[in-house]
Amino acid sequence: MISKVLVANRGEIAIRIFHTLREMGIRSVAVYTEVDSRSLHVRSADESARVENYLNTNEILRAAAETGADAIHPGYGFLSENGAFAEACEQAKLTFIGPRPQTIRRMGDKLESKRVMKEAGVPVVPTWDGEPPASAYPVLVKAVGGGGGKGMRLVEQPGDLNEAKAAASREAAKAFNDDRVFVEKYIRNPRHIEFQVFGDTLGSVVHIFERECSIQRRHQKVVEETPSPAVSPELRAKMGAAAVAAAQAVGYIGAGTVEFILSPDGQFYFLEMNTRLQVEHPVTEMTTGLDLVREQINVANGKPLSIKQTDLRQSGHALECRIYAEVPEENFRPDTGPIAVYRPPTGPGIRLDSGIEQNSEVGFHYDPMLVKLIIWAPTREASIERMQRALSEFVLLGVRNNMEFLHRVVSHADFKAGKIDTHFLERHAELRKPITNDVPLEALLAASLSSSDSRGARTTNGTTMTFDDVWQSGAWRNS
Amino acid sequence: MTGRELHWRIQERDIVVRVEEANGNGVLRVNDRAVPFVVRDKTSSGGWLEIDGRNHQFFVSRTANHVAVWIDGHTYVLERIEKGRLLEAASTEHSSGEIRALMPGKVLRVDVKAGDTVAEHQTVVIMESMKMETSLTAPRAGKVTSVHCKPGQTVDMGEILAVIQS
Repeated sequence: MISKVLVANRGEIAIRIFHTLREMGIRSVAVYTEVDSRSLHVRSADESARVENYLNTNEILRAAAETGADAIHPGYGFLSENGAFAEACEQAKLTFIGPRPQTIRRMGDKLESKRVMKEAGVPVVPTWDGEPPASAYPVLVKAVGGGGGKGMRLVEQPGDLNEAKAAASREAAKAFNDDRVFVEKYIRNPRHIEFQVFGDTLGSVVHIFERECSIQRRHQKVVEETPSPAVSPELRAKMGAAAVAAAQAVGYIGAGTVEFILSPDGQFYFLEMNTRLQVEHPVTEMTTGLDLVREQINVANGKPLSIKQTDLRQSGHALECRIYAEVPEENFRPDTGPIAVYRPPTGPGIRLDSGIEQNSEVGFHYDPMLVKLIIWAPTREASIERMQRALSEFVLLGVRNNMEFLHRVVSHADFKAGKIDTHFLERHAELRKPITNDVPLEALLAASLSSSDSRGARTTNGTTMTFDDVWQSGAWRNS
Repeated sequence: MTGRELHWRIQERDIVVRVEEANGNGVLRVNDRAVPFVVRDKTSSGGWLEIDGRNHQFFVSRTANHVAVWIDGHTYVLERIEKGRLLEAASTEHSSGEIRALMPGKVLRVDVKAGDTVAEHQTVVIMESMKMETSLTAPRAGKVTSVHCKPGQTVDMGEILAVIQS
């Protein structure tokens, strides 16, 4: 049985995993790089070990050996979908909490994963090597070697295909050293619907319902929820069965997510499979009462899944907002600095997965996500009201962030009506800016009173000066 | 009562505020309105105030020339300005015209060399941080006395990249 887990990750997910380990009586080890030495996650585990880099397999294995860990939890991102890392853990006789290395490799290859799905009878977005039929348009030319929008071109009509392929190929060669491109059907106004799946070592696979993640910016998710307002019970059964078939096709072990796109006509297509725990897993936990990390550890210990498909039920509605250290009003530029005031919301139906606290230093080295704010309520409408309340009660000062933007997003009539798709944020670009420039009197007063405070402002070189000192000294002289 | 005048910029709008206060009681003057207020509690990170008959809890956080205020469920970011001009970040009060990196990142382009004359707002250095490009400009017209960076160089936040004498 696993007795000590090293979490090869940082921030909120590391802390979240430590919580479950503690509940299960399993010792925990945090790893940290130099810039993270004072981060909250380091203090949240039983032990900690310094590493040069979260992405360095040798460093992680060395830390595991030094601390006597017998298992590794990779979290999400970093090494979580690295087949070579999973294999190295096995070779070092460490239990890798996740699927087998060959599963990670297979699902990590975009073309291979689609081939596997097609064989398993899971619908995939139609692709062509050569020329698609005229009826298939519009189509997307995409790079084989990578994503993120590079080497991608939208083609509305057959006449434009060759030029688009040439341009995409040139871009792909530069970005991925691989000029191969393929053509895929373009789904207009798609919704991103993903299914949580879970498999154990005895061959059982279940799905734990869907999450809708359509509110995205540049392929980065911002708001997620479950259940999806676009998924009827019949569609859920069909997509769930497809997700289970997908997982079974590769003998999936552990937690995974099958991502689909849902087109407005009700057709769904496999997009990709993520062989790890997802950032947005809390919304699934809130509506099912499950602890997915606990299930991961039980499966890694060889135990059967504690849940049967026929027993699984969802209750109520869960919404998650990702709070980022970004300034939407200034084109989402990142911000850094110390958290001066941190007062998260409390009350019924609120869960916070946070990597920061008062005085935490937010840097630029890692992902700018600060906190996940997760809300549960009996209905979707009530969950939106609760999210509005929670966002407005959350005081987070010192680092600019997107909370006001998130409030505007969930308050938008189309969001409330469930009229969303992956182009929502582009379509409603006005949401970046506040609705009004007006600042109420009390805010002006609060700012002005605080600027008279003798404690003064911190300068960029760390000395403290009051606005009074500076005003009087004439240093703000016009030249 | 001690009175002070503060100039704020909020999203391209400038507002002038006069605050007179003694022992927690005071008057706020904005746009020809005179509004009495009471400060019920104040610490360096916030407090309670009563204005227009209502109680408001607030929190504040300050950097060199920005104030972030949370009050009644909203966060406002105000910039301190002096009579219509943005106050420079405090670093410039030590020596005028220091162009500093606003974020850690990489220098992409240096558009000036020592001896060049620059105009107010002229681009001096272009930097990249977390995939965003930022242009650093001359706060006022002057002459470039020294350049301390080159393209491709990684810099920390606050590092001096060039100095301009006005």
